[in-house]
Amino acid sequence: MPKRDDIKSILVIGSGPIVIGQACEFDYSGAQACKVLREEGYRVILVNSNPATIMTDPELADATYVEPITPEFVEKVIAKERPDACLPTLGGQTGLNTAIALAKSGVLERYGVELIGCDVDVIERGEDRKLFNECMADLGIEVSRAGYAYSVDDARAIAADLGFPVVLRPSFTMGGAGGGIARDEDELVRIVSQGLELSPAGEVLVEESIEGWKEYEMEVMRDAAGNGIVVCSIENLDPMGVHTGDSITVAPAQTLTDLEYQRMRAASLAVLERVGVATGGSNVQFAVHPETGRMVIIEMNPRVSRSSALASKATGFPIAKAAARLAVGYTLDEIMNDMTGTTPACFEPSIDYCVVKAPRFAFEKFQGADDTLTTRMKAVGEVMAVGRTFEEALGKALRSLECGRVGFSGSAGDDEVALTDEELFEALSRPTAERIFLAAEALRRGMGAGELHEHTGIDPFFCARMADIVVVQEALRTCKLEDLDADAFLTAKRYGISDAEIARFTGADERTVRACRKIVGVRPAFKTVDTCAAEFPTKTAYHYKTYDNAESEVAPKERPRALILGAGPNRIGQGIEFDYCCVHASYALADAGYETIMVNCNPETVSTDYDTSDMLFFEPLTFEDVMDVVEAADPDGVVVTLGGQTPLKLARALEAAGVPMLGTAPDAIDLAEDRDRFAALLDELGVAYPPSAMASGLDEAREAAAAIGYPLLVRPSYVLGGRGMGIVYDEAGLARYVAEAASVSPDHPVYLDKFLEGAVECDLDALCDGEEVYVGGILEHIEMAGIHSGDSACCLPPFSLSAAVQAEMSAIARRIALALGVRGLVNIQFAVKDGVVYVIEANPRASRTVPFISKATGVPLAKLAARIMAGERLADLDLPDTFARPGRFFVKEAVMPFGRFPGADALLGPEMRSTGEVMGIAGSFPAAYVKTQLAISYALPQGGTAFLSVNDQDKRSVAFIARELARLGFRLLATEGTAAVLAASGVPCEVTGKIHEGKSSVADRIADGEITFMLNTPLGSVTRDDGYELRHAAVRHGITYATTIAGAQAMIAGMEAARGGALSVCSLQDMGE
Amino acid sequence: MSKVSDYLLANTSKPPARRALLALEDGTVFEGVACGAEGEAFGEICFNTSMEGYLEIVTDPSYAGQIVVLTYPQVGNYGVNLEDAQAEHPALRGLVVRDMCATPSSWRSQEALGDYLIREGVVAVEGIDTRALVRHIRDHGAQRAGIITTGEDAAAFLEKVRTSPDLVGVNLAREVSCSGIRRLGTSVPTRLFGLAEPRPARRTVVVYDCGAKRSILRDLARSGCSITTVPWNTPAETVLSMNPDGVFFSNGPGDPDAVGETYEQVGKILGKVPVFGICLGHQMMAKAAGGEIEKLKFGHHGGNHPVQNLLTGRVEVTAQNHGFCPRFQSLGALVPELSGGFDNHEEDLRAWARRGIAPVVDNERFGRIRLTHVNLDDGTAEGFAFLDIPAFSVQYHPEAAPGPTDAHYLFTAFARLMAGDADYLDIDIAADRLDGWSFADAGAAATEGKVA
Repeated sequence: MPKRDDIKSILVIGSGPIVIGQACEFDYSGAQACKVLREEGYRVILVNSNPATIMTDPELADATYVEPITPEFVEKVIAKERPDACLPTLGGQTGLNTAIALAKSGVLERYGVELIGCDVDVIERGEDRKLFNECMADLGIEVSRAGYAYSVDDARAIAADLGFPVVLRPSFTMGGAGGGIARDEDELVRIVSQGLELSPAGEVLVEESIEGWKEYEMEVMRDAAGNGIVVCSIENLDPMGVHTGDSITVAPAQTLTDLEYQRMRAASLAVLERVGVATGGSNVQFAVHPETGRMVIIEMNPRVSRSSALASKATGFPIAKAAARLAVGYTLDEIMNDMTGTTPACFEPSIDYCVVKAPRFAFEKFQGADDTLTTRMKAVGEVMAVGRTFEEALGKALRSLECGRVGFSGSAGDDEVALTDEELFEALSRPTAERIFLAAEALRRGMGAGELHEHTGIDPFFCARMADIVVVQEALRTCKLEDLDADAFLTAKRYGISDAEIARFTGADERTVRACRKIVGVRPAFKTVDTCAAEFPTKTAYHYKTYDNAESEVAPKERPRALILGAGPNRIGQGIEFDYCCVHASYALADAGYETIMVNCNPETVSTDYDTSDMLFFEPLTFEDVMDVVEAADPDGVVVTLGGQTPLKLARALEAAGVPMLGTAPDAIDLAEDRDRFAALLDELGVAYPPSAMASGLDEAREAAAAIGYPLLVRPSYVLGGRGMGIVYDEAGLARYVAEAASVSPDHPVYLDKFLEGAVECDLDALCDGEEVYVGGILEHIEMAGIHSGDSACCLPPFSLSAAVQAEMSAIARRIALALGVRGLVNIQFAVKDGVVYVIEANPRASRTVPFISKATGVPLAKLAARIMAGERLADLDLPDTFARPGRFFVKEAVMPFGRFPGADALLGPEMRSTGEVMGIAGSFPAAYVKTQLAISYALPQGGTAFLSVNDQDKRSVAFIARELARLGFRLLATEGTAAVLAASGVPCEVTGKIHEGKSSVADRIADGEITFMLNTPLGSVTRDDGYELRHAAVRHGITYATTIAGAQAMIAGMEAARGGALSVCSLQDMGE
Repeated sequence: MSKVSDYLLANTSKPPARRALLALEDGTVFEGVACGAEGEAFGEICFNTSMEGYLEIVTDPSYAGQIVVLTYPQVGNYGVNLEDAQAEHPALRGLVVRDMCATPSSWRSQEALGDYLIREGVVAVEGIDTRALVRHIRDHGAQRAGIITTGEDAAAFLEKVRTSPDLVGVNLAREVSCSGIRRLGTSVPTRLFGLAEPRPARRTVVVYDCGAKRSILRDLARSGCSITTVPWNTPAETVLSMNPDGVFFSNGPGDPDAVGETYEQVGKILGKVPVFGICLGHQMMAKAAGGEIEKLKFGHHGGNHPVQNLLTGRVEVTAQNHGFCPRFQSLGALVPELSGGFDNHEEDLRAWARRGIAPVVDNERFGRIRLTHVNLDDGTAEGFAFLDIPAFSVQYHPEAAPGPTDAHYLFTAFARLMAGDADYLDIDIAADRLDGWSFADAGAAATEGKVA
């Protein structure tokens, strides 16, 4: 069927902020969809509240609404734009839920909007377990035995029937939120009561445990003519019990006979047909009993998912792109396979390599949280690696993670080395982020593959492969580097062992290993991901490295090449923002005439779409892997300043190896990072900065502290996202901190800065070509100094700073950028206290705020930076005079993952812990702020009881807050100290005791829903005090809370703005006019 | 492999390395390690792109005379379960893989693939950059090749490869056919796990066995046929005297032109009883109708080729295994009134798919023949239906094994043809999708499987 011409405009709903379980894979799928729909001639209207996405680039849609993805706001967009159709299956669960709500409430019908790519009944059959189970019963396909609980007693009765352990799944929650495995009645009660609250339907599925079974996923597509294909099969290394997003997974399925695989394939297609998926991509998950082959279906998702992004990258088959075409009427046989260009997309990719995906975690950010992996996803990012064998791919995947590992091995400093055998073997049975490395250690100590399987439940196939890797590693340990001949190097490489590992095993250093390897002629080859196992010639340059090196497939250079190093796995502090910058650089450098090369290992991203750059190398971002790409592709310049810390860390080594750099020289980066050098520079420039010092060990730290004076901001050197940062108020705190810092980063000293308490912080991003400086934007933070800039809400333009202060910041930025010799982007953080502008730090690279500022100002900073790197001048770039847009405020708010980490303190601090951000745009700061809260689905309370408990520093300001709350109709409740201050200020309030003091405690009133707003500012310590319990309760019960006075002020202003009347919507395109 | 490398590998699951060579007629030589029987083997080299189902490939009689390269690099992962075998013994000459797994894992596994190959005397080599090899075959075409594990030098071995017999013109069906007439009834050697009970036998079918895969016999039996297999050259008169409800022409190896004694029988049987042919059987039926057969550059061997059913418009993802292919254009002149008014043949048959027309030719011998299926990758013919006699055939493999089972409906179609259904081929894939599979009670089936 040709494409539909009865529809002209299509509304695409994105997925909103990056949260655990819903990350930038939906930017990848959504951006693909927007591109395709525009190519097909449709008018595309997009709603997405996440400014850090490629899909919200104004070029990708005809009308881009950076607005909350809620039924209320999407309805406003519909009313304004009157689209003919809505495509909701590419924006994750958020997009889908919103579309369904609009369909059910009759909004879509009222405005004549047709849902395409799905219908409501299908979604319900896919997501509602009862309806789904009925469908499966019709097909004769087994599901695990289960029952629905609407109360804790229901759950008890069902569990009594099934026997423990049981799996608990609250209905309609994202990424399995609120689910878990209960091994006894206590756990059952705890998880069920939480799950009933989290589930919009107040419903929890209690299911027989299939923990330990083999887990598979099938990525399936179907068109309107009924053609169905399986794009990719995925086998989880971790058996059932670990969320697939938290599992190491392998594609294609490794241990199914053809008979079993085809049976699963037929079932997958039948499931789509029975559920009624008309067009698009879906995923179907199965569990297989390892000893009987009994197969049960776990679930299906009638939309593109994280796994479909992975499957697209793993096979070269662009699922989202195809899904968008299918939604507008094409059939699979009418779409061409992009890779071959001559054969149709109605086929099943054959791959001739092995793909391993590994999750990236951030437990170190959430002290106190349980790091056991369960059916509830906790990973914040992932990497994918491609090799010709599982061994090769596993080694690559693990060194891609950037968690200090150089492959499938540990080193002397790693935790597992210190464990006794008994501890180690016991730890193996608990799935954790570290288990894969514990497995390596156990094998190293002589555990057999069979025994490893017994302990972990990991399939013996994988255990045997891993055992072989360790055997080769252990043999290497007994070799000297000079003993290794070509065959030996090749053997080691074919087992996925990195140069860094060979160096460690043979007592050499990595550079020497590389040199020796090359001398004996062992070099890698680059093969191509082509969807067809080389059956047909293809032109797309999507490559991976291997030591199957009879032939390499990289095309010879025909024009200058620019290589862009990506940002690696998403993690806290380094996420989609940097991918956005890399993608923009790629576009700009292509425009500048370069053949662009992307190197990255994150399958969720737009940068690793084979369409984004001329060549894509799916490789780890390590010195070895990047140098191999450099040697194969021979770039004329390498961009290291746009992918966050990951490429930056490699800059020096690459430069030393003679690799040509584009943009700011690595020495400038070092100049800015090195505190002493940078302080000297600031002194020279006459710029104020908080006094600081560097110290190794407690004695030095004490001395420095005495000189600077408390309070101090303390942090280890060379870290990302403020990891390991803290504020200390006295010597005892300092001693505690120094001891902890040594465990995070033992080889690096500690920095001590004067902490400017109560200062206003600002972020400034600027472009510099070496002669001129252009200030792209200044963001004023809403939280005061002390909260990590990535976690602080902020506003462009600054809402409280005078033009003179802003001008001073711009002038300082100019001096610093020129002095550093920046060629590209620079980010400078300021603190303003008592009228003095201090420089906190300068980073001559793309910052987290670049996409936000670009969206807010309409000036694409990353693209312009790339053009400067390619030799253009600022004067030629036709830039506007000022970054502010009259009458508009753009607020950024961070999204915190505390709900995912029960046990971790939900307190903002100098260590960054947010996973993503949203943007709110409005004519006033409070209105823009309230939009950000709505976009994170924190509906601000309309009334009820406000609970106030503040520390001594904040007692002065609390009266103002309390008075405002009372004026808005809140009843007030405060702890004794706070209440005394309020009473003195003439604000009446109810007094309550501390949390542990009695029955009518605050915690109970939170649980009862009586308290709707909470302000709790911390005492500056990390102990588990009352505040911890209260914040924990607030997170658990979804209560609006603030942990800073400034945050509370913004919320109150927002509540007032929300009452003031309707918030309107406006597209980015309209703003430019 | 050097001593140091051997030392590194000494305690891995890999057996001690035995050097092996793979040489192609055009002079390309790859060094690897033996992973099957000792010795040397010669044959035509081809590659298969299925990602699983290696045992089905190794035991497929259609691979007689060939050395098979598997494109998926790691082979043997789930071991060997003889229930999956397509014949009693392998017929291929040699196997080339990137990595042979010595430690298989599957509840169905009985032994490692390497051990099976040694037991069956199949020469095999691993450690080869199979992707480079496949690209070479793709660009330079199928050709003679040899594997040697016994340490001859490359130049001398290459000479042997170049003087080894060619596949063209050789009757390989003779080697893999059955030796005499066998009444199997419904007791076909079959796989138990995951499969539904056979339907009660309602029809008798004679199978010309040119190397029939067991899965074909199984699917015939399960769609309600009582089966008698006969050797490749059994006279038509003998078969017709059995009064079967239908005759089936099986898959088989090699050059169809060399199997004259089979297609002569086909000519005598067509029109007398309902006939269904697969692969070589399809080629035999085309030969009987006077059609030309072409040799493809490197053939179709895999499990992911899209084939469109021109009658329903539906695309099937199919299992393929053939190096030769009949030309629809050679069967006769187009009948414009049955071909959407077109009277000119199309070289690329995908033109018919785009037009949504199933064209019909007028065949001198058997009347009107319709093109029913087209390969969407390269526009070759994949299926014919004879309109004036009860017969149809496909080039690809509805029995899969290995591969997707989308085309299983063709067995249902054969049953309908024998029942006299006029629109026997008009079947919705989705309606047939789960036919033959069983999902419930797998535990019980598994127990039986272990016993069997």
